[in-house]
Amino acid sequence: MLCIHSMYSGINISQTDARPMYLQIMEQIRARIAARDWPPGKELPSIRALAAGLNVSVITIKRAYLDLESEGVIVTRHGKGSFVAEVNGLAGELKQEQLAEHLARAAEIGRVLGLTEDELTARLRAALKHLDKK
Amino acid sequence: MSVVTRKLIAKELYVNRWFIFGGALSGVISVLIAATGKMGFNVGSLTWLTTIIATGVMLGLYGIMNERKEHALQFVLSLPLSIADYVRAKMLGLTACFLVMWLVSSTAALLLVFAKDGVPDGIAPYTILLCVFMLANFIVVLCGSIHAQSEAITSAVIIVTNMAVSIFMFTVAPLPGIGKFMWGPAPVWNSTFWTVLGCELAVLVIAFTLPFLLAARRRDFV
Amino acid sequence: MNDKHIEMRGVRKVYRFFTLDDVSLALEPGQIMGFVGPNGAGKSTTLRLLMGMVAADAGEIRVLGHEIPKAQAAAKRDIGFVSAEMRLLPHTTLGWHMEFMKSIYPQWDGGYAATLVKRFNLRPEQNARSLSLGEHVKATLLLALARRPRLLILDEPTTGLDPVARHEVISEFMDVLRDENRSILFSSHNTVDVERISDTITFIDRGRIVASDEKEKFLDRWRRIQVQLPPGVTLPALPNIVKHEVDGQFLTLTTNEYSEGLRNLMGPHVTHVHRMNLEEIFVANVMFHREARTQ
Repeated sequence: MLCIHSMYSGINISQTDARPMYLQIMEQIRARIAARDWPPGKELPSIRALAAGLNVSVITIKRAYLDLESEGVIVTRHGKGSFVAEVNGLAGELKQEQLAEHLARAAEIGRVLGLTEDELTARLRAALKHLDKK
Repeated sequence: MSVVTRKLIAKELYVNRWFIFGGALSGVISVLIAATGKMGFNVGSLTWLTTIIATGVMLGLYGIMNERKEHALQFVLSLPLSIADYVRAKMLGLTACFLVMWLVSSTAALLLVFAKDGVPDGIAPYTILLCVFMLANFIVVLCGSIHAQSEAITSAVIIVTNMAVSIFMFTVAPLPGIGKFMWGPAPVWNSTFWTVLGCELAVLVIAFTLPFLLAARRRDFV
Repeated sequence: MNDKHIEMRGVRKVYRFFTLDDVSLALEPGQIMGFVGPNGAGKSTTLRLLMGMVAADAGEIRVLGHEIPKAQAAAKRDIGFVSAEMRLLPHTTLGWHMEFMKSIYPQWDGGYAATLVKRFNLRPEQNARSLSLGEHVKATLLLALARRPRLLILDEPTTGLDPVARHEVISEFMDVLRDENRSILFSSHNTVDVERISDTITFIDRGRIVASDEKEKFLDRWRRIQVQLPPGVTLPALPNIVKHEVDGQFLTLTTNEYSEGLRNLMGPHVTHVHRMNLEEIFVANVMFHREARTQ
């Protein structure tokens, strides 16, 4: 049986999948981070190394890393590489604050409109679905 | 001369090694046959001529056209060289190939003339003229091949130069300065001889230099 | 410092039945550019111009900083060129070629060459005559890759390759890009591979460059939008619609500049927004430009 153990042997990019390659990469990286396979502080493969490992263009990996960074999931230190963000790291904290604010606002507006809890949750689900479609 | 040009000349000798060896061997065998007597002399001289012509054709035609046809030309052109370098390497390389075979065959023929009693030494000047003619002939074929854009033109050049061999033999042999002394016991080096030799060498030099002036300047090669 | 690996500006080449016109191309180090076009579009001619095998009638060409065709010998010291038409020299073996390359190029990596021989399933004792098309392609790729050239120019490098061989070859290309000082320009019909590994893509059709941009930008901007219009309803004038297909109430609009704004203009009638793969983008782009040219 063929057993391959490497940092990204499990990451698979499918070109027949409807979602763009950069999103697939982001998802699979997020999954590993969430599962703690890639713990906070762990260094990510360099962009070029991951590109060569996955046989995917450098520009796609770059985009995935940039987007993950703007989400606060990873942190890039210029000249040093990219790392999984610390859970209590500043970038993550800011994002948490942002989320808390937005949710508070959403709850307020929902109340004003007279939406029930289920209706408001349904709206949140629809927004997530819309995000996935992009 | 750059490394690439040197390597390409060596490659030419390697790639054509069987033609060179086969041609040289046939030339020697032909001379041996020519040494066996009057009948042998006629047969041997004919095969000797044919061998040299055939090898020249194979090198001149095959050496240039087949590289083009078999798309090996792009491989060679992708090496660090210019079109002029390529022409130079081709001319020098294929000429070297022919020279090896020609030197062996010509030396063998001259040895036969001087060493064998049955063959009069008087035929030596004519033999030399014939040998140099074959060399000049080859260079003309090569020159034509390297400039020709199609196999048709190359074939035409080869046919014309082959006819030239016969024409040479029919015009030079009966020349007063040559024919009269051909079957004599000693070689006669007269002005007729030198004149014909001079013409042959002139044609040779012109045909050899032409590619360096024309083909090498070409801007499109595929 | 911006030392592009390839710079073509306004290049023109006239043949009896075909003209390559106003071709401009730029390749940065560390990039892979996919060069896509229909048969006869001028891909091979463009690549031959870059290699100095033919000379342009107008325009400038610089490869690795060298003027082409004048300084082509110097440029080619660091360029690996493979074309599907290329063959090894007759009466020789692959092993002989490897020795030949070693003697000409000081950067020849014998260890890597040996690895590639195994990986590409070749044998050095094989005579050039006995090689199939695919084996010729793999052999010439090997000879180019083992020199570790700074720039690779490849004309249909996956021709005649089975899926396993293609995968091996693509992996080697991506390995080249581990080094940000090396780059690859390759032409291909295989839009799946081009879509996967290219950083930038250039489309060519009938001797002219149709489009040239980052791959992700192409994938982001092109969409196929399906709309269902109830009777009596029409859409407002929409910008950037490259193709309109109407089937009764059902419309399919192809756009090359998709945005939320565009979608909103179509209102609630949009049923589906599809991303397009490179092949679909390529065909739509070429068709659009051919129409525009005839007008």
